[in-house]
Amino acid sequence: MTFSLSFNGTEHRRPSRLGRVLEDRLPYLIVAPAILVLLLVGLFPLIYSLIVSFQRITMTDNDTSFAGLLNYAELFRDTRLWASLGHTAIITAIALPLELLIGFLMAQLFIDRMPGRQLFVALLVLPTVISPIVAGATWRLLFDVRFGPIGEILSFFAGEPIRILWTVNPAYVYPAIIICEVWQWSPFMFLLLLAALSNVDQSQLEAAEIDGASYLRVLRAIILPAIAPVIAVACLIRGLDLVRIFDIIWALTEGGPGSMTETISLYTYVQGFSQFETSYTAAISFLVIALLTLITTLVLKRMEIAR
Amino acid sequence: MADVKLTGVHKYYGNVHAVRGLDLTISDGEFAVLVGPSGCGKSTLLRTIAGLEDPDDGTIAIGGAIVNDLRPRERNIAMVFQNYALYPYLTVNENIAFGLRARKTPEIEIRKRVSEAAEMLGIGNLLQRYPRQLSGGQRQRVAIGRAIVRKADLFLFDEPLSNLDAQLRDEMRTEIKRLHHEITTTMIYVTHDQVEAMTLADRIVLLRDGKIEQQGAPLELFERPRTGFVAGFLGSPSINLIPATLTAMNGGLSVVFGSGESLTVPPAKATALSSVAGREVIVGIRPQHFGRAGDGPLRDGVVPYSAVADLIQPTGTRTFTTIKIGGVDAVAELQAHDVQSHGERIQLAIDLNRMVLIDPATGSVIA
Amino acid sequence: MRLMKLPTRKGRVLVLRYIGAGVVTLLFLFPVYWLFMISFKTPDEIYHVPPLWMPGQIQFSNYYVLFKDGDVMAILNSLIVAGVSSAIAIILGTLCAYSLARFGTGGENLAMWIISQRMIPPIAVVFPIFLIYVYFGLVDGYFGLIVLYTAFNLPYVIWMMRGYIVDVPLELEESALVDGLNRWQVIWKVVFPMVRPGLMATSVFTFVFAWNDFLFALVLTRTEVITFPVMLTHYFGGQSNFWAKIAAMSVLGTLPIFVAVTVMQRYLVRGISLGAVKG
Repeated sequence: MTFSLSFNGTEHRRPSRLGRVLEDRLPYLIVAPAILVLLLVGLFPLIYSLIVSFQRITMTDNDTSFAGLLNYAELFRDTRLWASLGHTAIITAIALPLELLIGFLMAQLFIDRMPGRQLFVALLVLPTVISPIVAGATWRLLFDVRFGPIGEILSFFAGEPIRILWTVNPAYVYPAIIICEVWQWSPFMFLLLLAALSNVDQSQLEAAEIDGASYLRVLRAIILPAIAPVIAVACLIRGLDLVRIFDIIWALTEGGPGSMTETISLYTYVQGFSQFETSYTAAISFLVIALLTLITTLVLKRMEIAR
Repeated sequence: MADVKLTGVHKYYGNVHAVRGLDLTISDGEFAVLVGPSGCGKSTLLRTIAGLEDPDDGTIAIGGAIVNDLRPRERNIAMVFQNYALYPYLTVNENIAFGLRARKTPEIEIRKRVSEAAEMLGIGNLLQRYPRQLSGGQRQRVAIGRAIVRKADLFLFDEPLSNLDAQLRDEMRTEIKRLHHEITTTMIYVTHDQVEAMTLADRIVLLRDGKIEQQGAPLELFERPRTGFVAGFLGSPSINLIPATLTAMNGGLSVVFGSGESLTVPPAKATALSSVAGREVIVGIRPQHFGRAGDGPLRDGVVPYSAVADLIQPTGTRTFTTIKIGGVDAVAELQAHDVQSHGERIQLAIDLNRMVLIDPATGSVIA
Repeated sequence: MRLMKLPTRKGRVLVLRYIGAGVVTLLFLFPVYWLFMISFKTPDEIYHVPPLWMPGQIQFSNYYVLFKDGDVMAILNSLIVAGVSSAIAIILGTLCAYSLARFGTGGENLAMWIISQRMIPPIAVVFPIFLIYVYFGLVDGYFGLIVLYTAFNLPYVIWMMRGYIVDVPLELEESALVDGLNRWQVIWKVVFPMVRPGLMATSVFTFVFAWNDFLFALVLTRTEVITFPVMLTHYFGGQSNFWAKIAAMSVLGTLPIFVAVTVMQRYLVRGISLGAVKG
């Protein structure tokens, strides 16, 4: 549409005034719609939420009077909140290094050319792209104590019947969640690290080989420094995702048994959509944002120092 | 067909004053080459003429009309870029026709012009290929073809040959020169290569620090440089520059070097210089103005000089020989067999009629 | 001697690597295999002890039930919501990215702000968005979800496409400007074709993100526009899980993604890695 406005077939005639304005303002015109959507859906709710967090709205009471820092003070007395943060931290602290390690080992396995490598890579990507809810549901089926194959496989190796209530037994719920999480996201790490590894300067590796350096030395002196930026970014991306983990747990344990695997996202959801503690939920949201901002800033700072 | 007239053009990039109040007129049908060291503002100037950059001050006129407010597409120009700027997702045919399609030229006309251009450039058999299937020289021809079919008023070339290897560059240079003879459109050509500038130009515009240092026909700049910079920029190998003092001697003038050696200034030049005797100067002698001294008498202004050959670099037809003049290394361009071995003493003749004397303080040529 | 030994040593390593690759792939694909197998099993086979590694025969009654009960509407809803929101996010995001990449619009600050939008955890905004949607009557409608997914994909699209656009040689655009195109046409006829591979990869990911989202859909749908992940959770319930439905719905909800990923495979690796490496 704009094309015909601003363009005439003949070579020396100038385009219309409107066409000219549209072209001159192009940098802003094409930024505007995206920014508008982001402001509307990204920023506006945050501001609204900030206001609500200083009010006294609950399910039963639409009290919009100013509550000061009441809701924020409440945060510090809420043991279930801190417990949920603890659960989140446990899952992140265990799953993230595991994903990184497994991803790295997989990348090492596929770094050299081999016929059919593309096919393997394509197949290995699949867990990462399926819906986390599907992943959770799948593992729920796999873990099932009677009809699932996991117990069967474990029994086969142990030589005796093993029956584990993976999603109910307090001793096994965390392993269950972490296994599912690691299964889904190690391939993501694998892809990133594979790309990073194939960018490592080959001549450096060859020089090291000629010098007779051991594999561990090459790894420490050449490979790790070369892929460190990618590792950092990958950990940041996955770390942020893990801190907001919701879907997999919802599908596997729904936070149970009790509230044993309730993460911060689940707890916020419960406060907002079961308890309808509107103002308090808003306060929790800002705690989460503050924590994530802090983590991100710290990580980015460290990355810059490292560079 | 159009002439180009720039008046008082200034261009800043942030704090960098890239073009500094430049006036330039290029007449209809002329082949002008903007040349200079990197950072001299030549590319900026070309892009300003194209409309890809807006001048901060001054006017640009093409064909008598001021085009400052016109978009590149409205100036009816064609431009060939350093990296060819071919669209990788289009065939050669579509690449050449791109500008015509953009201007809604009738399809029959497009076909006619594309085949004309392809024939002129000898790429008729490549029309269905994609750029990645072409060699560097072929790509360059396609890029030129895209410009030709436009039948624009003005052709702009931005270092089009700098990505080609030496042999292809010579070939394409000839091609471009022939092209200009055939279509006689005004052309402005930017290069940092003085050989390209010398061989292609009707007029060389030598730029330095955003200003015109000197402009004129290639040989005019070569033989009558107005500054030491021009003398040093043009010519290969570079002109030899030797510090000396102008001294009155034996009823004439001589240049006396730091080593105590001296050369007599030819009387034709000396008369104009008598007032400045005693001054420090830089003597510029081109390598081409050396020769092996023959048996016969020397012409006026040609002086004998005895030197020891140091480095010897044969090129086949000519041999570049490093010698010392006045204690300073200088290069003499001799015939292939004029000098045989390192350390050999050779009798040279230097044509001082064509030497230049430069004022070391201002850099301008005194005589 | 060495020349003779080298190929055999290399050959042995290669065999070992194939074995390793096979084991790893088996391990990671087994859950997917299991899911597909359950979806083809009869109830007797699903609830068999010990579990059966393969169904007696491939039969589609589990899928048939989904169609009969109208559950597949959830897939259709997901297709509409993810498809439309991806298309919008790609168009708006690429245009925005072009402006950021070519004109530096808004400077580094705008770019940083856009990226920071992606860092905001969904859980922190889902609640206020819910309240606002309730106020404007947008809950349980296509429009609300589409706007939301568009917004949440925009930073990703802008981030990715900015990287691809920066790689387009400036000369190509300038040449087109001289040859007779205006800026809008340059975007359409030069920039879009040049970034097509990146655009493909980004589109796939954008679609996958919207397709897989659970939290927003859980909160913002009731009955009308339930997407497939939400539908899936409706089948959960203590021990009386509808396994057949879970498996069949999961497969239906996974197939479009598998197809997209397989078709676009050669663009994806670059898409994933570039996004992270450049970040």
